[in-house]
Formats: sequence, structure tokens, C-alpha cells
Amino acid sequence: MPTIPSHVPLSLVVGQDRRAASDGDVARALSAGETWAAAETWRRFAPMVLTLAKRTLGSHSEAEDIGQDVFCRVYRKVRTLREPDSFRNFVYTCALRVLQTELHRKKMRSWLSFEQPDLLDCRGCGTPDMESRDLLRRFYSLLDRLAPSDRVVFVLRRVESMSIEEIATTMETSESTVKRSLARASSRLSRWMDDAPRLAGGER
Amino acid sequence: MRTTTSEPKESPALTEATDLCRDTLGPPTMAELERGLDGFLARISPQKTRPRRLVRWSRASVAVALCTLLALQVTSVLRKRWSARESATLAYRVDGGSVLEGGYLRESGHTGMNVVFNEGSRLALSPGTRSRLSVVDRDSAHVAIERGKGSFQVAHKSNRRWLVDVGPFLVTVTGTVFTVSWDPVSEEFDLRLREGSVVVSGPVSAGEIALRAGQRLVANLAKVETVITEETPEQASSDPPSAPPAPAATSPGLQPPAPRPSPAPVASKASTPAKLAGDHQWSRKLARGQWDHILQDAEHIGVEATLGEASSEDLLALANAARYRHRSDLARSALLAERRRFPDSPRSLEAIYLLGRVEESWETGTSQAIAWYDEYLARAPTGPLVGEALGRKMTLTDKLEGPARARSLAEEYLRRFPKGNYAGSARELLAP
Repeated sequence: MPTIPSHVPLSLVVGQDRRAASDGDVARALSAGETWAAAETWRRFAPMVLTLAKRTLGSHSEAEDIGQDVFCRVYRKVRTLREPDSFRNFVYTCALRVLQTELHRKKMRSWLSFEQPDLLDCRGCGTPDMESRDLLRRFYSLLDRLAPSDRVVFVLRRVESMSIEEIATTMETSESTVKRSLARASSRLSRWMDDAPRLAGGER
Repeated sequence: MRTTTSEPKESPALTEATDLCRDTLGPPTMAELERGLDGFLARISPQKTRPRRLVRWSRASVAVALCTLLALQVTSVLRKRWSARESATLAYRVDGGSVLEGGYLRESGHTGMNVVFNEGSRLALSPGTRSRLSVVDRDSAHVAIERGKGSFQVAHKSNRRWLVDVGPFLVTVTGTVFTVSWDPVSEEFDLRLREGSVVVSGPVSAGEIALRAGQRLVANLAKVETVITEETPEQASSDPPSAPPAPAATSPGLQPPAPRPSPAPVASKASTPAKLAGDHQWSRKLARGQWDHILQDAEHIGVEATLGEASSEDLLALANAARYRHRSDLARSALLAERRRFPDSPRSLEAIYLLGRVEESWETGTSQAIAWYDEYLARAPTGPLVGEALGRKMTLTDKLEGPARARSLAEEYLRRFPKGNYAGSARELLAP
């Protein structure tokens, strides 16, 4: 088969710097199935999502698993995003939904005794001293007693330092609901934290 | 951004916990991000997607199966809870001492203490041991040893999670008999396992270490040394423990005096190329003393390919195996690859320090070794190996340029590490 000569001049095609793309560009590219967009979405938002998951769950390994679930959800649902420029908020909202679902599952599993709740995995949490590790473990065991939505609100406000308005927007709820959740979580946790460490069953 | 709305007052302990949580649970490392990206891309690859109808039917089948399982589980759990309600709480008795506020165990005499649990588990604490029962409840028992030695006999029938904090180490226990000690002055952790298995995590280079019956783990943080040895039943049951025998595995900081002809007899298959990336096989082999296996694996895969593709953890394990076998060229290549490919990883910093150690093994490498230690000190001014790097730099500077140039380093060393490993050498340098 004869080859048709092309008169299109040759030019050097250089790969674009994807880091310069806006969040909206990344969302549009991900929605269009462009291969680079998945990796760029991860690079751009994974630190935020993994940190949030780690702080909410208190476990590095669980946070890694949740991170995967969050980004798979983002990948599946990105076509439903109406305003690509709010891609960051979209990812954060996806992360909160996945986290809340996971917390509900954990509560259910612990109620059914399928498994014991994970104790805080302190590897890599940067605190070698025993007292700090104890405090963190106690803190997360108390967080486990809160309702998932109260727990998420508390972590967003007190650990992630988000404003009430931001939390309400991200969780798609009202500010008064967020305030009620926060008050409930803070008062319960304060009461439980102030209780002396209890040792069950000891003959003293 | 914080709001100005009034918020409920919270207890200082809660504030402390949230601050600690924010400070310690920080952003993921580069290695975690890279690992996560690989996993994410693999999950969304086209090969993994299945036709929707098939997915729907699969989900329906799984849902039916789960409902059935759930019903069975609920029935059995309710029955178990009903029957076990009375014996659910773990009770204990302390002989030879008492329990103070916060679970601290106080010895009443000088003969040690025994803690006996109603499920059959026992804990014997040597005289002078400082320890506490952090948590004792229905699901778990958590014991902390801050100083001294404890012998544990954890009942096999126990479904509880047993955790033992020993200094900066965490021992996760199943049905097991073992003795563990921690000396905060010499920073030495010593665990002798007689029965069962445990997993030790903490500041050891190989990450988690799984031990089986008959093994002994000695980790000395000051010397940056981790040694795992096989013990005979007689040795394992002797108490108190004697000095550790010849090492089967050694971690950074220690050059073994002579290569051993055969590694510790632990059953393990050689890694295949497909298993290489991120499989963490080599760090486990390193901890078991299987240095030759690691080197053979790397040669089987191809050294160049390994240096270009192996995970950060495996590269460091390869570098250490090569160091222990005195293959300094390979060790240096692996460490340089670690530094080049994972520049933001904490292992990269460890690699920089180890490059200094490798250079020291060559007679002409002294000045280059100092340059590596300088780089470590500049990049990790509060890193875990600062004392070692500064001490090595001081020693080499003394050797290369004489005591006059080394004195300022000795002063700095003594100011920062007055009880460090090189404190004696530093004082000698400063002596009139």
C-alpha cells in the first residue's frame, strides 16, 4: 500500500506541565478519562485526604485503605461534578462521606464483635514517649464511643482547625447542626478524659 | 480559619490530646504517597473494571450471602454474650505490691511483684522494675514497662489483645511466654521468647520484627544496633538473661567481625522479581540474618534493575546486607540509589549517614565520610542519628586534621550529648 506523503511540518511536542493546570482543568480531564489526570488528582489531593483520614481514624494503615476508597469514589463520581472549579471541595466531601461510612461500619462491626476495635497504630506518628502514646490511644478509644458524625465534626473543628461555616458547607448541613454536634462531642470527651484511668476488675 | 462563635469549654486533657493528635499525625511521607498512587492507579486500570451487569449480580449474591452470615453471627454473638457476661471482665491480683492511681505498680518489698490474671495469664516483675497497667478491660490488656524486666505468660485461650509498651518499643502478643526488659540509661531493649510468637515494633531499622519461639531480640538504640539470635531451650529458660551470643543479624551501626558462613536457619523462599517492589521481603530477611539471600535475589533480578526499581525499604535492606558481607561497592550503590530516588524519605537520611560508614571502610574515604556526615547533620539537625554522625565526624576530624580541629566538635558533642557514646572520646580531646 503506497504511503501518502504528508505536508504537515514536523514539530517537537513537549509534555505539558500538569502542575500548572487548575483544579477545574484536572477535574475536566479526569472526567474525560485522560490518563494523566488520575495521577495528578492523587498528587494534588492525597496529602490532604490521607492526613484527614489518619487524624479521624487514628490508624496509618486504615487511612491508607480509606485514601484508596476516596479516590476511587472521586474517579467514579467526577462526571456528576457540576462545577469543575470546586474540585477540591468535591474531593473533601467525598473523603468525609467515605470516612463516615467507615466509622459506621466500624461501630457496627464492634457491636457485632466481628472484630475488636483497632488500637492506635503509633508507628510513624513521631512520638516516641510512652505517655504521649498512651494519651493518643485513650483519646482514640474515647472517639470510638462518639457517633460518627459528632466525631467527624470534632476532628474537623479541633484537629483540622476548620471553621464552623466550612464544616457546614463541606458536610452539606446547617451551621446549627454542626454547633450542636461539636458541643455534644466536646462535653462528652471532656467528661470522659477527666475521668481517672479506670482499671477494671483489679483487687486493690 | 476559626470562627468567633462561642464554643463549649473543654478540659485541658482534651486540649492536650487534640494538640498532640495534630502535631504527631502529620502529612503522609513521600513513600506512602507513592505507594498509594500505585495502588490507586492499579485499582482504576481498565483490566480491573468488569461489566456492570456482572458487578450488579455479584453484589446481589454477596449481599444475600452477607445477610445469611449476619443472621448467623448475630445469633451466635447474642448467645455468646449471654453466656459470657459474667466472666467478661479481666480481673487481676497483685502479689508483692499494690496498684496506684494511673495503674502504676508499686513494689512493697524488694522481691519483685507478681500480677495474676483470672484468665490464667501471669506477669512477674523483677525487683526495681517500674511499670504500670495502662488498660485492663474486656477486650485488651496493656502493660507498660518503663524500666526493668518483666516475664509474661499470656494464656493461649485468651481472646484479649495483649500489648506491652517497653520503653519506645511495642510488643504485640498472642499466647506466649517471654521475658522483656528495658534499660533507659543504656537504651537497651531485650526480649527472649520461649513460646508462641510476638511482633515488636519501635525504632528499629527493619520496621516490625516478628519473633518466634526460641529467638532473642536485643536492640540497643545508643549503638544503633539490633541483634536477633537463636537460643537453645536451656538458654531461653534461663533467668536472668545472660549476655547475648554471637549475632545472627545486625542492623546499621555495627560491622560484624567476620562473615558467617550460613545465615540463621529460618525457612523463607527467595524473592522473585515479580515480588520485588514494595514487598518488604528483604527487610524481614535482613532481620533474620539472611544477607546472602538478599544479595542472591538482587543478582538474580539484576543489580541495575534492582537499584532502579526496588522500594525504599528494600534498597536500604540491600545496602545493609551488602555492608555486612563487606561488599562496600554494592552497599554504596544501593545507598546512593536510596538517596537519589527517595530524597524526601527518612530512609534517605539514614542512607546518607550509612554512606559515611561505608566510606569509612576505605582507607582513602575519610574526607568523603566527613562530607556525608556533614550532609546528614545539615539535613536532619534533630534526626535520630545526629549523635552518631557528630561523634563519627569528631573522630574522623581528629584522625585527619588533628585534635586542634576536632576540639570544637568535641565541645559541641558534649553540650548536646553529655552521656552519648562518644562523650569519653570528646572529654579526652578536651583534656589539657
